[in-house]
Amino acid sequence: MTAGFTVVAYAAIVVAAVALELTARTREAPGLGEVLAAALRIRPVRVALLAGWLWVGWHVFVRVDWQ
Amino acid sequence: MEHVHDERAGRRESRAGVVLAGVILGGLAAAAYAWWAAGLAPFSLGATVAVVGAGGVAIAAGGRARRPAPRRVTIWQAAPWIALALAAAAVQLVSYLQTPRDDHPTISSLTNSLLDSQPARAAALACWLALAVELARR
Repeated sequence: MTAGFTVVAYAAIVVAAVALELTARTREAPGLGEVLAAALRIRPVRVALLAGWLWVGWHVFVRVDWQ
Repeated sequence: MEHVHDERAGRRESRAGVVLAGVILGGLAAAAYAWWAAGLAPFSLGATVAVVGAGGVAIAAGGRARRPAPRRVTIWQAAPWIALALAAAAVQLVSYLQTPRDDHPTISSLTNSLLDSQPARAAALACWLALAVELARR
């Protein structure tokens, strides 16, 4: 994969997520917030998602060489 | 009777004022903290403690103010979102396993260039903390 192809793939996923959210609102299907809320009521999933969120913060804000 | 209503309405208003003041003060404190933490040296113990510690506090704070139970979502209703998450994970994994990074960017390598300045990092850190609270409230 080239850099351009990869960036287009990420952008396509973001566009699909926005489209899915908009579709969910008009068709009474669950949006991302509702799916996350339902998943976060399951204890192991909750622990994994919140730990994953902490890892994302550490990875993005600590393990990066911007200086 | 009217007097009692007025008193309750007044109490509600003053409680809303206290909540609003708390939200504004909390937001200002979080912004100041994010600015400070975004200036710490990368890969340092101080930065790790500042970021992960604040994330832990945000999650604990959100967990103390949980939202009411959401409506039931079946696995089939969630399937499009799960498929999208798997697609994102697949693109990320394929990029991660290949080099050079410039030709195979991961999400974090793309965000690194966006977070080059301290104001951008501070804003992103504040958003990350706010989302940590929101996630923990659900």
